[in-house]
Amino acid sequence: MIRALDRSNEPLLLSIVAALMAGPFVADLLVPLGVAVWVSYLLPIVLTYLGWRPQLPVILATLVTFFMVAGYMLSPVGVDEDVAIINRGFGVLTAWIMGGAGYYFVKNKIAVQAQEWVQAGEVGLSQTMGGELNLASLGENILRYLAEYLGARVGVIYMQNGQGLTKTATYALPASANVPDVINAEDGVLGQAVKDGRAFDIRDIPDDYLSFGSAMGKGKPRHVLAVPLKADGIVNGVVELGFSGDLDPSSLTLLERVAPAIGTAVRSAVYRAQLRELLEQTQKQAEELQTQSEELRASNEELEESQTRLERQQAELEQSNVQLEELAQQLEQQRDELQRGQLALQAQAVELERANQYKSEFVANMSHELRTPLNSLLIMARLLADNRSGNLTDDQVKYAETIEASGNDLLNLINDILDISKIEAGRLEIRPEELQTKDVVSKLRTTFAQAASQKGLTLRVEIEDGVPASFVSDGQRIEQVLKNFLSNAVKFTERGEVALVVSSMSDGRIAFNVHDTGIGIPETQLGIIFEAFRQADGTINRRYGGTGLGLSICRELAQLLNGEIHVTSTEGKGSVFTLTVPTHLEAAAKDGTPIETDRAEIRHITEILTPPTADAQPKITRPRLIEDDRDNLAGSERVILAVEDDPAFARILFDMAHELGFHCLVASTAEEGVALARQYLPHAVILDLGLPDHTGLSVLDRLKRDVRTRHIPVHVVSASDYAQTALAYGAISYMLKPVKREELIHTLEQLEMRMAQRVRQVLIVEDDKTQLESLGLLLASRDVETVGVRTAAECLEKLRQTTFDCMVLDLSLPDVSGFDVLEQLHENEDFSFPPVIVYTGRDLSADEEMRLRKFSSSIIIKGAKSPERLLDEVTLFLHQVVSELPPKQQRMLTQSLNHDAVLEGRRILVVEDDVRNVFSLTSIFEPHGVMVDIARNGREALEALERLSSAEPAVDLVLMDVMMPEMDGLTATREIRKKRQWKDLPVIMLTAKAMAEDQQQCLAAGANDYLAKPLDVDKLLSLVRVWMPR
Amino acid sequence: MTDAPDDIELNLLLSAIRQRYGYDFHGYSRPSVTRRLQRAQSYFGCDSLSMLQHRVLHDPSTMPQLLNFMTVQVSEMFRDPSYFRTLRETVIPHLRTYPSLKVWVAGCSEGEELYSLAILFREEGLEEKTIFYATDVNPDAVKRAKAGIYAMDRIPLFTRNHAAAGGKVSLAEYYTAAYGRAVFDKTLRARTVFAEHNLVSDQVFAEVQLVSCRNVLIYFDRELQDRAIGLFKDSLPRGGFLGLGSRESLRFSKYFSNFADFSPAERIYRRDVAHSHSEVTAHALA
Repeated sequence: MIRALDRSNEPLLLSIVAALMAGPFVADLLVPLGVAVWVSYLLPIVLTYLGWRPQLPVILATLVTFFMVAGYMLSPVGVDEDVAIINRGFGVLTAWIMGGAGYYFVKNKIAVQAQEWVQAGEVGLSQTMGGELNLASLGENILRYLAEYLGARVGVIYMQNGQGLTKTATYALPASANVPDVINAEDGVLGQAVKDGRAFDIRDIPDDYLSFGSAMGKGKPRHVLAVPLKADGIVNGVVELGFSGDLDPSSLTLLERVAPAIGTAVRSAVYRAQLRELLEQTQKQAEELQTQSEELRASNEELEESQTRLERQQAELEQSNVQLEELAQQLEQQRDELQRGQLALQAQAVELERANQYKSEFVANMSHELRTPLNSLLIMARLLADNRSGNLTDDQVKYAETIEASGNDLLNLINDILDISKIEAGRLEIRPEELQTKDVVSKLRTTFAQAASQKGLTLRVEIEDGVPASFVSDGQRIEQVLKNFLSNAVKFTERGEVALVVSSMSDGRIAFNVHDTGIGIPETQLGIIFEAFRQADGTINRRYGGTGLGLSICRELAQLLNGEIHVTSTEGKGSVFTLTVPTHLEAAAKDGTPIETDRAEIRHITEILTPPTADAQPKITRPRLIEDDRDNLAGSERVILAVEDDPAFARILFDMAHELGFHCLVASTAEEGVALARQYLPHAVILDLGLPDHTGLSVLDRLKRDVRTRHIPVHVVSASDYAQTALAYGAISYMLKPVKREELIHTLEQLEMRMAQRVRQVLIVEDDKTQLESLGLLLASRDVETVGVRTAAECLEKLRQTTFDCMVLDLSLPDVSGFDVLEQLHENEDFSFPPVIVYTGRDLSADEEMRLRKFSSSIIIKGAKSPERLLDEVTLFLHQVVSELPPKQQRMLTQSLNHDAVLEGRRILVVEDDVRNVFSLTSIFEPHGVMVDIARNGREALEALERLSSAEPAVDLVLMDVMMPEMDGLTATREIRKKRQWKDLPVIMLTAKAMAEDQQQCLAAGANDYLAKPLDVDKLLSLVRVWMPR
Repeated sequence: MTDAPDDIELNLLLSAIRQRYGYDFHGYSRPSVTRRLQRAQSYFGCDSLSMLQHRVLHDPSTMPQLLNFMTVQVSEMFRDPSYFRTLRETVIPHLRTYPSLKVWVAGCSEGEELYSLAILFREEGLEEKTIFYATDVNPDAVKRAKAGIYAMDRIPLFTRNHAAAGGKVSLAEYYTAAYGRAVFDKTLRARTVFAEHNLVSDQVFAEVQLVSCRNVLIYFDRELQDRAIGLFKDSLPRGGFLGLGSRESLRFSKYFSNFADFSPAERIYRRDVAHSHSEVTAHALA
């Protein structure tokens, strides 16, 4: 560039020089010899010093020589020719000296300029390489600068950036140029340059190697310079420049000079890049470390917090402990006191009982003791009064009669006392019987006729109209009461009449009224006369006799007869005593014999319970079936079935069962018993043999023959001894009626214990003998019993006979494969189908696994850790009833089974990878009458659609999961939409992803709708209904 | 009470990101998020977070880069070799008892963990019956994981780790190196499903027997950690395994009781139900 500028001045210079040469020459020719015009030749020579051609001064010197000679020859005569020759000779010599000097001078000038140019180039280049540039920018800058500075038409720069020498920047390189991206050491000239570390100048360029050009035309460079870039002697780059014109040697110099600098710059740039990357790495790691340490610190804090909390809790706990201990002590004391109190009470009760007993015994004894002498006394007195031998005086007879009368009074008194004590002790028995009214009345009349007439009283007996001819009551006691009334009436009446009138009351009861016209009873005394041992007036007994017991006895008796006593009286006029009784006496109050059962409460619990028999106390009529728990069962309680037709015993069983924490069902016939057992599958059955329709033995037999109920333990209770037969039929135990309450309780308690620790049965199906043994050993324990079989046939046989809690099944069996065993069990109801764990040595394909998963939720492949897992699974099965599925899925499975018109008979293709979801979806739809097909990824889905396109019904709707192996849901949906026949097939995506754009993606892929997981069953069903084609 | 302007800016920025792109970083550990956003801020040459927010909202090319800042990707193959050794020696024998296996690598970053597990499973002969799920919230990371290409200078570290983890052959059997990079055997990823999955918002998608989620949870706050662990719990069956990073722990998670320690030193947990295994064994052998 710089040169070109200078060159442009050259023509001007040459013309001036030429003129300055020509001028003096012409002058020399004109001027005579001796005039030294030729001295001015020196001027142009000097002028050539300004030029750039070193040859020019020498040429001029040569020209000057010719001109000098020519001038000598042609110049007009002048000075001496020799002098002229000598002068001209000196002139030529000077010219040559100047020319020579000029030659070197210009040459030097050129060299200096070239050097300056190179240096300027270096400086300029280093400026462009400054700053912290990345490799690409650096390369571009270098290339651009060099190309422009050196005048290259095209350039490429390769740099080492870790992957070999890669093309980093280009200058004016058309896209069609055939320039490699990476250079190896063998790659032609460039490779050579790299290997040798030298710059190369290439002359013969292949045609399409490195072309340059614009839209207007292409050209091939004439020269290509390849310069390796080195840093510390190691090549790390190559610069290639294409020139269309000739090459200036300075260019090569420059390039060689700058090569190391560029190399260093490149190396620095590479280092910088690496540094930056490392820095980033370090920063990220530092970030992570910091976050981790923060996390740790947070954890630490939480730990400390927990610790303090724990300590505090501990302190509180200790305090509570202390308090609890105190409380416990208090409680113990209270308990001891209570116990003592209870014991005392019990002792008292026993005492009381004993006392009562003593009393009645005493009374009984005393009555005997009293009566015996009294008897003799009365007889003797009578004998004396009869005076058979006539040897007694009238007075003596009277004395004897008085003795007799007193004796009789004493006897009556004793009887009264006995009666009262009996009534109080509750021993009085009422015996209702049919009585004829007339007979009762006439008997009384007979008894009292004489006494009345003796006193001069009239005794009137009357039965009014309307009184029934007979009635039911206890005749003896009625008599007693009426006798009492009548005797009182007679006793307290001096004159007039005593009348017994029987009338009928408005409520149908019979009233026995005893009228008298005696002294009457003051009103104030009406109450107390009925109290034992008291009379209206303490003085009365002296006058009228009697102990005053009679009326109180009457009151008690009236109560016992379900009747009442009324008194009306006017002092001085007379009284009326009325006894009212019902016409039909039933055995006392509403609760059987209250007196009897009150007694029973006090008795010790070990008393024998006798079920009431027909001839015992009158039966209480109850409803035939007693209320039981069949409506209260919620499914998981312990349930007992009592098959007993006797309501009372049934009631006892029912209450006892409840006491021990069982629910109880009651059946009163054999048929009902079997039906209830089948329906509710109780944990135990208590069976009476004497049932109204069939014998209990038939029930036992039927229960034991039925697979479903055979495992239920049956306890037989009966009045007759069929023990052996019952046990032979399969009863677990036998109790003879009357059954001690203790026995029943014991049985039920045993049952409870056994249920809690019932020995579980596990069936192991394994053909290898050693394996079978070791599995048996592994699983057996105190609660677990194992049964081993080696073929499928044996397995089915065992399942036909017994119910197992769990089954371990090997798939490769000698006769029939484990798969088929499972299928058979599923279809056939004759076999009990326990939960199955598949335990097999062979690897399963995905299809086989699906097949097995239908029946078995647990599949274990034999291996080092499999015994551990097997044990785990078996134990879990045996001890846990709760479902594994989370509540949402449980709800999914127990949706109500309405048949849905929209869904009935339709076909849905479920494309889902997660097996759990597959089965839940199946169980949601199948109850609605939908046919469900399953595919496990997108590819299978497409295949399934192909396969089912001719099926009847065709696939109506597709539920498509998104994340699946092989082909995901979005791709599958797009593929589906590509086919014309499935363009309108409804596809609903089930996506685990919740961001808005994920869902947009679903729609964009062609889905009709989407539903986010976890699936809401109702939403799913409604979506399916909406999109199901009509 | 007024929040500091920095906090306001931060919250606004997170809201902007969530509303515009759907990525929710509110649940990430706050100090960590703050640091990273500051780095991003200086990288993008913004004077404040508000300016960064402006870029995020108006320049679509910003978010992918910002995402790289937010979802840190420091990883190496067979990182913490003892973890992989423990997996190989104690967990794999349990996994062998299953007829088919699924493994979930949550937060797979650029795939280092995934390929490590794939190699491990191949060496133990379980590859044929296993399906891997490799998920990450960052789509770029997932893409890079799918490519399986790593810089050559990282390979020596990987090789050492692999050997320390009980590798049966040299790691070189599994990659080819050229032009300064190593490409891992594409058959290793033949049985892998790559997908974007966001632990903040997405749900369970499959039942897996092993979940490996290492050095991801430390970047979440407690609530988000619990959510993530909840997803893992729901994905694992009884007896399934969960592996966490060497500084992570389930101890303070609300799902602590659903897991039992399997290898506490390596942070490997096992999903259990009512009985813990020791109880079961004791009971059965009583």
